[in-house]
Amino acid sequence: MAEEFSKVKEVEAKVLDEMSKVNDEASLKEFQEQHLSKKSELSQLMSEIRNVANEQKAKFGQAVNEARNKVMEAFQKKSQEINDAIIAKKLARETIDITLPGYNYKMGGINPFYLVQDEIIDTFVSMGYEVKEGPDVESDYYNFERMNIPANHPAREMQDSFYINPTTLLRTHTSPEQARAMDEKEGKPLMMICPGKCFRRDDDDVTHSHQFGQVEGLVVGKGITLANLKGTLELFIRKMFGEKRQVRFRGSYFPFTEPSVEVDVTCMNCGGKGCSTCKGTGYIEILGAGMVHPNVLKMSGYDPEVYSGFAFGVGVERVAMLRYGIDDIRKIYQGDVRFIEQFTRK
Amino acid sequence: MKVSLNLLKKFVDLEGLTPEEIAKRLTFAGVEVESIEKIASASKVVVGEVIHCENMENSDHLHVTKVNCGPKYGTLDIVCGAPNCRKGLKVIVALDGCVLPGGTIKKGQIRGHESNGMLCSLLELGVDSKYLSEEQTKGIEELPASFEVGSENVLELLGLDDTVLDLKLLANRSDLYSVLNIAKEIKTLFGKEVNLPKASVKETFKANFKVGSETEKCPQFSARVVKGIVTKESPSWLKEALRSSGIRSINNIVDIGNYIMLVTGQPLHMYDLDKLEKQELIVRDDIEGDFVALDEKTYKLQKGDICITSNGKVMCLGGVMGSLACAVDEKTKNVVIEAANFDYASIRRTSIRLNLSSDSSQRFVKGINPNQYDYVMDLTADLLLSLADAKEVAEVDTYLKEKYVPTKIKSSVKYINGRLGTSFSKEEVLGALKAAHIEVKDSGDELEAIIPDHRIDITGEADLSEEVIRILGFEHIESKLPVTELFVGKLEPNLEKKRSVRSYLRGIGLDEVLCYSLVDKDEIDEFRILNKDEAYKVLNPLTDEHQYVRTNLLPSLMNTLIYNKNHSNDNVAIFEVSDIYSLPEHKSIHLGIALVGNDLRRYALKGEPYSYYHLKGVIDSLLALFGIDEKRAVISRLEEKEFHPGKSALLKIDGKPAAVFGELHPNTLKKYHLEKENVCVLEFDLSVLFETKTSLKKMSEISRYQSVKRDFAFIFEDKVTSKEVVQEVYRVNRELIKDVEVFDVYKGEHVKEGHYSMAFSIYLNSNEKTLVDKDISAVEEAVIKAIELKFGAELRK
Repeated sequence: MAEEFSKVKEVEAKVLDEMSKVNDEASLKEFQEQHLSKKSELSQLMSEIRNVANEQKAKFGQAVNEARNKVMEAFQKKSQEINDAIIAKKLARETIDITLPGYNYKMGGINPFYLVQDEIIDTFVSMGYEVKEGPDVESDYYNFERMNIPANHPAREMQDSFYINPTTLLRTHTSPEQARAMDEKEGKPLMMICPGKCFRRDDDDVTHSHQFGQVEGLVVGKGITLANLKGTLELFIRKMFGEKRQVRFRGSYFPFTEPSVEVDVTCMNCGGKGCSTCKGTGYIEILGAGMVHPNVLKMSGYDPEVYSGFAFGVGVERVAMLRYGIDDIRKIYQGDVRFIEQFTRK
Repeated sequence: MKVSLNLLKKFVDLEGLTPEEIAKRLTFAGVEVESIEKIASASKVVVGEVIHCENMENSDHLHVTKVNCGPKYGTLDIVCGAPNCRKGLKVIVALDGCVLPGGTIKKGQIRGHESNGMLCSLLELGVDSKYLSEEQTKGIEELPASFEVGSENVLELLGLDDTVLDLKLLANRSDLYSVLNIAKEIKTLFGKEVNLPKASVKETFKANFKVGSETEKCPQFSARVVKGIVTKESPSWLKEALRSSGIRSINNIVDIGNYIMLVTGQPLHMYDLDKLEKQELIVRDDIEGDFVALDEKTYKLQKGDICITSNGKVMCLGGVMGSLACAVDEKTKNVVIEAANFDYASIRRTSIRLNLSSDSSQRFVKGINPNQYDYVMDLTADLLLSLADAKEVAEVDTYLKEKYVPTKIKSSVKYINGRLGTSFSKEEVLGALKAAHIEVKDSGDELEAIIPDHRIDITGEADLSEEVIRILGFEHIESKLPVTELFVGKLEPNLEKKRSVRSYLRGIGLDEVLCYSLVDKDEIDEFRILNKDEAYKVLNPLTDEHQYVRTNLLPSLMNTLIYNKNHSNDNVAIFEVSDIYSLPEHKSIHLGIALVGNDLRRYALKGEPYSYYHLKGVIDSLLALFGIDEKRAVISRLEEKEFHPGKSALLKIDGKPAAVFGELHPNTLKKYHLEKENVCVLEFDLSVLFETKTSLKKMSEISRYQSVKRDFAFIFEDKVTSKEVVQEVYRVNRELIKDVEVFDVYKGEHVKEGHYSMAFSIYLNSNEKTLVDKDISAVEEAVIKAIELKFGAELRK
């Protein structure tokens, strides 16, 4: 009788001892087949119940179950350990160099010309301006006559413009778009800018380019003043160059504005103290502007007695060169990807 | 315009003003001073006399001298290398410690001889060689014998203690090509007193010289005969006045003409009276033929050129150049002085056509004071009397088309403040106008401004507002944003679309470049595929490189690619979006892409070579971006010499050619020296894409039921395209087949010659129910049957 009970203990101890020797996937499997299958000693223990007295049967069954549970529990633990070890080994094998470059999902570079032009556009759009584009190949009529530069005006000198034929040329400024915009609006107030390419007969060097970008601006309405021009340009310049910038006007001349001004901004390098960037003056010339000439308004069907307006023209390369410290305008047109890829966003 | 402050000082009080102050004020008032130059500079120089001079032994050019430098400095031993160094010469001596533009002078030994200073040329004092004679540049300056030994104010004695302002004059201020008008401007800005020269000439005889004009292009023509002149060297004050303004002295007669032009802005011309065939000068513009000018060259005259004639012969090309036939020379005794005004447009045309430009023609082209000829004539006659020993001066004979009437402008303080956005008082406004030499008639609210005759640029009310603000100062302008009705800021539709394309392309890693629009002839002829129009040609290019307006973008991008390859940039993916223009009046928006090397996006380390399919992917994505249905976009093979015939394509949208793209032909690669590279390029006429109408997208229903995927593989003949197969599959059951995806294409082992294997998945789904086996196998069977039937393809098991 006690014999059966002690056998249970004996088998349990023996199986657990065997289990302690298991140390890898193969021995685990072997152990499972040998000691946990239906024909294993542990499984056969229950059949011993027939040799146990009736009153002891329940107790015996319980003992067998306990032994089996104990073994199974230990087995679960063991197989977990072995599995963990296997996974750990696999992961160790899979370890990579986490410092190698990732897949190249870089944003493409953008020519700083477009970076600046897009930002100028966005700034004025946010202020309610319409954005229009005019043609690069322009008529003499729009490029000059409508801009109050009559035939034989010195500004028309052949050496300044690329002519296609006597009445067609590559536009020398984006100003002709002023006239087109006013023609379209038929006498109503307007606020517009026009970005575009311009061409002049300049030899290319560090600061000159036969092709360059301009953004033209025009506001026409009742009671528009030179003070409005200053307010607008101040807002624009501070957006582009920082809140601390000061703006000043200097007298100038353009045939299509009166008064005309050159607009200077406090140097972005020294803040106005004077340095090599601003040649010691504390200011940098940034754009030309003025009040729309009454003749220009008149030619576009606006009564200069009722309407007035201001206009300005910003050189895109100039802003880009100042802002990003570009020392040679030709770099903008060269297309060297080592240059372009330095610029992605503002 | 260069203006000497010593000369300017004669006509306006500059007391208490530094050159810097003058320059700053002028610049802010719209008269930019580009530079402030000192004519010469030297400290510690003295007038000396060479009292002993001998050649140095062992030297072919050095002299050993003793120079008397007056009681203060005594006699100094100085070694001098100038060929004209000799005993008795009065010289400029730079003493020990003297600072010259080239450096500091120190005592020293030269080949064993003591030297206690330097004898100077004007070059060494910083005077530009263009103002000096050849002798002056080769040796030391020979001072007049009258100079006193020991004088320390050498620069002043020589008139070299001068500062020159270089004015960058804008087209409106042609009046400032006159020193007198600059003096008036100084008065305007600083309130200083002017002292204009007064002419005091008295005519001594009646010449009865005839003047006239037979053309509209001459509003005024004056002539005056002066007799008995003597040609000689100009006095030093005149030479200095010219030199400081950048004009070389020739002789007294020529110098007087140049001086009068410099001071008054009125170009003069002088004729030798005795060489004129008739006592007349008549202006005409109807003459053709040859004309021998002062420069001894022959020019072809055309109708329209302004000619000054005597007895029908051209004596001067008006405002441009005189005739050799009546030129003033050393023998000339009697002259006719001309002071006239000509139509600026005609002068400009003639000057450009003959490529003849002078200080005179430039002044006429910019516009001159129309009402000062009498004054100018008198000033000139005065100088001829005092500097050229003129004996007799006749009256001024003038032809005048119409009487000069000063410009009068009506305006108001309110208008001026309204334009400027200022609140100047009436006193301030009137004060500013008065300072600008404008006479103002004040009648309450209105005012009438009478413009001085030298300010031909002031023609309207707006000009008055500019005068006021430049005189009172731009710092009075406040910053005020305009108050207008509200507008919605927006981009033109095409600009908006260009931006979408550009940001998509940058998003997939392409670099955005900007190329010149003007290209050379070769670039026009290459990749002339999408746009075959004739290119605009520039009539007056600067270089052959920039002669044509480009009609396609690929040539520029190929050149940019080569630039990058030459600078060891191996993997390049660039694009440009630009408007292109061609004859006749064609404009469209193009996109160009050029790829070379490897795409590094998929495999970070080694990358994958760029291929046709990279560009095909861009095309597919752009079509999707703009909502263009696949059915409207048709791809076909491209047969263009630049491209690989088997790896290039033409895209048409709604039948319109829209893009060409693919890999390049070996011949093209060879031409660009890119034999070893795989280059893929694309040119897209975005205008076609942008103009394609698409309807607003509406949401389409997504099925709630499980989707089922089935894979197939078939062997096809090579000529069968994937697109045909996919279309055929859809046709089997448009309701249930939601998607067809090609996932493998294979050629080679186990596939017979001329055939290839293609595998694809179909995705089945119903919007009404979950599909059961029966539904699925029915579609499967139908697909197999259809593909076998249509293409003679063989199902791979």
